[in-house]
Amino acid sequence: MSATGRTGSAAGPLARRRFLAGVAAGAAAVTAGGCARGESTSAQPGTTSISNDNATWDEGYRSAGSELKKITGYALRPLSNPSVTSYQQVVQMTLQTSKSSDLVKWASGYQLKRLARAGGLTDLSRVWERYAAKGWVRGASRDAVSYRGKALGIPMYESYYVLFYSKPVFRKLGLAEPGSWSELLHCAEVLKRNGITPFLASQSGGWPAIEWFQELVSKVDPRFYQRLVDGDASYTDAPARRAMDIWHDFMRKGWMTAPDFDQARGPGALKEAEVGMFLHGTWQAAGMSAAGMKPGTDYGAFILPAVRSSTPKSVIAESGVFVVPSRASSHDAAMANVGAWLDPSVQRVWSDFLQDSSANPKVRSSNPVVAGLQRDIVRNRRMPLVRYWEASPPSLIQGNTNDLGGFMAGQTSPATTLRRMQERAHDEWAAWKRDEA
Amino acid sequence: MSTSTTDRRPPTAPGKPPAPRSATRHDPRAPVWRTARERLAGGGFMAPAVLLVSLFLLAPFAWTLYRSLFSDTRTSPFAWFDNYALFASDPALFRSVQNTLLWVVGTVALPFVLGLAIACMTSSSRLSRLARLCVVLPYALSGSAVAVVWNFMLTTDGAVNQVLNGVGLGSLAQGWLLTWPGNTLVMILANAWQATGVAVILFLVGLQSIPPETLEAGSLDGADGWQQFRHIVLPQLRPVSIIVIGMSLVNGLKSFDLIWVLTQGGPGRATETLAVSMYNETFLELRPGAGAAIAVVLTVIVLAASWLYLRRQLDVKGV
Repeated sequence: MSATGRTGSAAGPLARRRFLAGVAAGAAAVTAGGCARGESTSAQPGTTSISNDNATWDEGYRSAGSELKKITGYALRPLSNPSVTSYQQVVQMTLQTSKSSDLVKWASGYQLKRLARAGGLTDLSRVWERYAAKGWVRGASRDAVSYRGKALGIPMYESYYVLFYSKPVFRKLGLAEPGSWSELLHCAEVLKRNGITPFLASQSGGWPAIEWFQELVSKVDPRFYQRLVDGDASYTDAPARRAMDIWHDFMRKGWMTAPDFDQARGPGALKEAEVGMFLHGTWQAAGMSAAGMKPGTDYGAFILPAVRSSTPKSVIAESGVFVVPSRASSHDAAMANVGAWLDPSVQRVWSDFLQDSSANPKVRSSNPVVAGLQRDIVRNRRMPLVRYWEASPPSLIQGNTNDLGGFMAGQTSPATTLRRMQERAHDEWAAWKRDEA
Repeated sequence: MSTSTTDRRPPTAPGKPPAPRSATRHDPRAPVWRTARERLAGGGFMAPAVLLVSLFLLAPFAWTLYRSLFSDTRTSPFAWFDNYALFASDPALFRSVQNTLLWVVGTVALPFVLGLAIACMTSSSRLSRLARLCVVLPYALSGSAVAVVWNFMLTTDGAVNQVLNGVGLGSLAQGWLLTWPGNTLVMILANAWQATGVAVILFLVGLQSIPPETLEAGSLDGADGWQQFRHIVLPQLRPVSIIVIGMSLVNGLKSFDLIWVLTQGGPGRATETLAVSMYNETFLELRPGAGAAIAVVLTVIVLAASWLYLRRQLDVKGV
């Protein structure tokens, strides 16, 4: 027994040491592997990687990438991080390193300007000029992708903020698509009388709180909206007060859904006649199809009419952009792909996937509802306005969005909300200008 | 009470540390060498833990403290305590402190009272195992999963309001997550639904460790049920109570997941706690200096509360 015991005690530590040494070696190997360059963003022949915060778009990138490959020789390899907050952190951190993707999806406007301030983005002005010469971009959108005179982004898509509605419900109630403010109010009254909440309005998830604010302010006075988001007008000025009063009036009349309404239920709520009209981006068209609604038959969409007939017509537009990090692994391939992204053959596939409007004005959407909106925008020469989320410095927008959420929940009056927004605007614009100087 | 161990120790002069036991049996030079070697070995064994704690806990905290002293403008100049002054000037942070206090009170009181009551009621009943399972089960769920379930219940068109409307109590239906302080209170209740499970488990362990003789003696002395609970059971549950309250205190101060999934701190930052404010300021409002200041304040509060509480409750024997 004792001999066995001694042997055991001698073998025990030895085995334990071997085991510990093995564990240590394994841990070291894992650590070394973790510190080594990841393969996901490294150069891979025939492809360009694209960072993306919407995993449901991966299939669309692959389809568009197949078309791109026919032109440039490089397909798209989507790398998705579906958490927007974490995506933004990762992009901002990796942009300064050699691990950034070849193409990065980003927001336009001040979100892009903030990213550009840190440096590390490729100047795409020449690409933009080539597109402009062919008429493949809207000249008005250059400001939204530029910083200090250089175009740093190429538009990925262009969505418009519109009111979706259920055609069968409107038909049943004898309603027609409203073309004026009074017709809109009539629709709301009839819907409410029939037990249907006229408008979907939500602050659930934060950012949707801006939707009705930007719509109402721009439909009261689009030029004022432009001055407001540029920091040249005050949130306490008459047009903003008028817009908030309209909104407040809608809420008091019970025309708006509860502010914690889940927007993901929007298409279903339209279909079930729970809600009459759903204000959202045209990218929601894909969600309508997913709910089993056919464009033009089961649902339609219109742009919110101006409050007064004499007010210039406008539309709120949202555009994501591609940027090319200057330290991209396959920089030349990335430049080739952004240079061909707006080619009509690529945009045909991409627009069909999104069921939305292409950033190339020469490509008509295959979704008849969205195509009708595109025609309306051209015919009525609607003034394009940048979505509120991208139209002012990000810290200002984030704070004001919180205030609008509080207003929707009944925590603050219209006047108090606007006063707080203006106080923040004063501070944040001063900080932005100081930083720019 | 002396023990056999203390009885074997050699007598030492008052005020002097006891001599090492090995010193009486070995060469006088050997203990020095051996002590140094033992210290080295001890240090070697401690090194990984010390290194990891330093690397992943102390160094980030030091960096956070340092960052909190700089402003959030592009050039980030040194700004002394400007970020800490936000607690006095920003109404959202003031509300955040209020909410944190509500959470601390709620997460300490509710799991303690409910956990103790459920443990006492189910420790000896026939259906106790089933009842305990029902109460303990939510503890196995993640905070995010609990939030998703409660979101289904508490939204304006959710299950709670539908039930109220269904039973003719529609006047009580409301936006549970929309108005302060109601939204914070219902989230504290949702948290208690989950956190009570662990309190029940701990109290059950405590109850099972109470010698039945003490209860029998109390009964023979004529103590009724309440008197037995008050004077015999409760004092013997003190060690468990300390653990339950201590855990709840820290959980209340760092509550984040349930709030983030249910309201994201909204509407209008009305339901933020300090942990949510820290995240919001750093990652959404893009003010890392302000976020760092909130993190430092939160850390100080958690440490101070834990230390003050445990110092009062734990005696030298660790109980």
